[in-house]
Amino acid sequence: MKKNMKKLAVLALTAVMSAGLLAGCGGSGSSGSEGSGSSSGDKTAITVFNSKMEIQGQLEEMAEKYSEEKGVDVEVYYSNDTVAAHLATRYSSNEPYTLSMVDAKDVYALAEEHALDLTGEDWVSNTTQAISVNDKVYGFPVCIEARGIIYNADAIEKATGEAFDPTAIKTTEDLKALVDKMIAGGMATPVGVMKEDWSLAGHFLSEVYEQHDDPDAFIAGVKDGSIDLAKDEKFNAMMDTFDVLKENNYAKDAAISAEREVTEQKLAEGEIGLMFGGNWDWAVISAYDYTENMGMMPVPNDSSDGSNEKMVGGGSKYFFIDNSDKTTPEQQQAAKDFLNWLVNDEEGQSFLVNECALVPAYSNINLEVADPLGKSVKAYSDADKLIANYNYLPDDHYSICGASMQKYLAGDIDRAGLAAEIAKYWSTAEVGAH
Amino acid sequence: MNRNTMSYKVKQFIMFAGPATVLFCAVVIVPFVYGIYLTFTSWDGIAKTKPLVGLANYASAFSDGEYWRALGRTAIYSLFAVILINIVAFLLAYLVTSGVKGQNFFRAGFFIPNLIGGIVLGYVWKFVFNRAFVAVAGAFSKGTVPSPLSTPGGAMFCLILVAVWQYAGYMMLIYVAGFMSVSDALKEAAMIDGCTPAQAMWNVTIPLMRASFVQCIFLSITRCFVVYDVNLSLTNGEPYGSSVMAAMHVYKQAFTYKNYGLGQAEALILFVICAVVGITQVYIGKKGEVAA
Repeated sequence: MKKNMKKLAVLALTAVMSAGLLAGCGGSGSSGSEGSGSSSGDKTAITVFNSKMEIQGQLEEMAEKYSEEKGVDVEVYYSNDTVAAHLATRYSSNEPYTLSMVDAKDVYALAEEHALDLTGEDWVSNTTQAISVNDKVYGFPVCIEARGIIYNADAIEKATGEAFDPTAIKTTEDLKALVDKMIAGGMATPVGVMKEDWSLAGHFLSEVYEQHDDPDAFIAGVKDGSIDLAKDEKFNAMMDTFDVLKENNYAKDAAISAEREVTEQKLAEGEIGLMFGGNWDWAVISAYDYTENMGMMPVPNDSSDGSNEKMVGGGSKYFFIDNSDKTTPEQQQAAKDFLNWLVNDEEGQSFLVNECALVPAYSNINLEVADPLGKSVKAYSDADKLIANYNYLPDDHYSICGASMQKYLAGDIDRAGLAAEIAKYWSTAEVGAH
Repeated sequence: MNRNTMSYKVKQFIMFAGPATVLFCAVVIVPFVYGIYLTFTSWDGIAKTKPLVGLANYASAFSDGEYWRALGRTAIYSLFAVILINIVAFLLAYLVTSGVKGQNFFRAGFFIPNLIGGIVLGYVWKFVFNRAFVAVAGAFSKGTVPSPLSTPGGAMFCLILVAVWQYAGYMMLIYVAGFMSVSDALKEAAMIDGCTPAQAMWNVTIPLMRASFVQCIFLSITRCFVVYDVNLSLTNGEPYGSSVMAAMHVYKQAFTYKNYGLGQAEALILFVICAVVGITQVYIGKKGEVAA
């Protein structure tokens, strides 16, 4: 009897273990086939890749409703992997998404091989932000995002004791005076500086390029050495402002270990009053005990061409439709209908603006933007006061130049050293094709 | 039944090791060979074509200064981490086999860090260094103390500390097995012959545990060389790229900078270095092994 029990136990164990082996296999098999873009029954099914983490919940809800109403199954996927890396795995396993939401640079990289020509679509005439490659429209802009200084007006007014007018802060001197007043009013360190490389190099440093009339020519000049970055007016104007921010950073002693969430929480709750960022930061700020009395203003700096009265921004996140034979014409049509629904249908518009709190990139959408930062961006966008994003920076720009900016932020190198490192980076880097 | 025929042996093999072999080939061997093929292409990771470029990727890998700096950093990190992991693990193992009260509880306790995934562990320690340490040190010194993660040296120190904390418990188990395998009779005999306990440890126990050392050092070297998860969640290469380890550089090269072929070539070089170091160490270690 005892022997039998043992035998049984051994058998059971073996069974469990071999099942484990098979499970490993079965798991990968089934995950491989999910969302393969085949139509189930008579319903067309499309897959949507979302790369904007903060709207995943809204998208999933919308997909459910949309499927019921329009008879098109919409399945939404999200990955926190790098967009290009994630799509690469989907393409190499031959399972592209019908619709993919990507960054502008990815559209340039992917469009000609993988994207469907959308030139004839209705929405094209309603936006200035669509992406075209070789005169064909491939990228559908999801929203407008812009960069600037985020302010907490309540905190500023409390510290200075007077009404705050963001449009009055134009030059570095203005900013310095404001910060000094806040310090005098009892806020010892009124500024937060994000140490993330994408913020420092991808957003702040790149404003130096974008504020030039012709960023291409400027970068080419830095590249071949005909422009000395250390003596460039824009570079110095922006870095002067950066110095003011840096000097008054609440985390000045350990700027490199400041955590984004902490900085944004301090801003939301009024412990600090100013931070360089963009309207996407609302997703983080709104998680804390925030005040509605916030907004965004252009980065103040001493330039004479009016660029200190404009934010830098434009279309952000683009949808493209897969053109491979893995996506049937019905699916492509359904995807096109979906994009049109977003722009032209009242429900779609409301979804973009009210549910997702995005700033719409379409002139025919007149809904009021929900969040305060988005409101500022919409106001600047409507007034045509946006300097276009430069979308062709090489992929390693933000991490390599970001490291240089971090060194500058930590006080490890001076401005000449920073300029030298950036110039050195550009001596071998190539901007993306466009 | 004749058990000596080829077909019988093949059948036996397929029955017992077949599924595992198939899976091993599918998830290790095939991707590895395909990866070697990719090192000869200039593929960006997503394009439809994979143009062959010969050995160009290896040439770029050898001239990629960032990569060699990352490798050098990894070597330094591994050196300190491996030595400390093994010293700590050995001492812990000695402690929990010496008969202290509640030694099974301690064994479990020391082993637990190893059960926490590297990513989670990195975030936990990030919190410890950035908040807890800053708060405690600030309270004692009456000023603000910057987080150790904000300086290059500090970040490296933190990485090594976390590695020791994570792996010491695991290696401890192997050393515990080593201690238990040395029979008390031998130690007693040594003591009767006039050895002090320290001498008995040094001359009898440790030589007989050589296999444990070989195994632990091999495991810790190979793990330290390919560290990625803790590196990602604890420092993410910061401050200013000074804590980017080899594996993280390879990932960035392949996926962020979209030089898939080059990244793959660099990964292969990392693999070869790892293999050479590991095999050399095992070879030297095994040569002097003594059997009881």
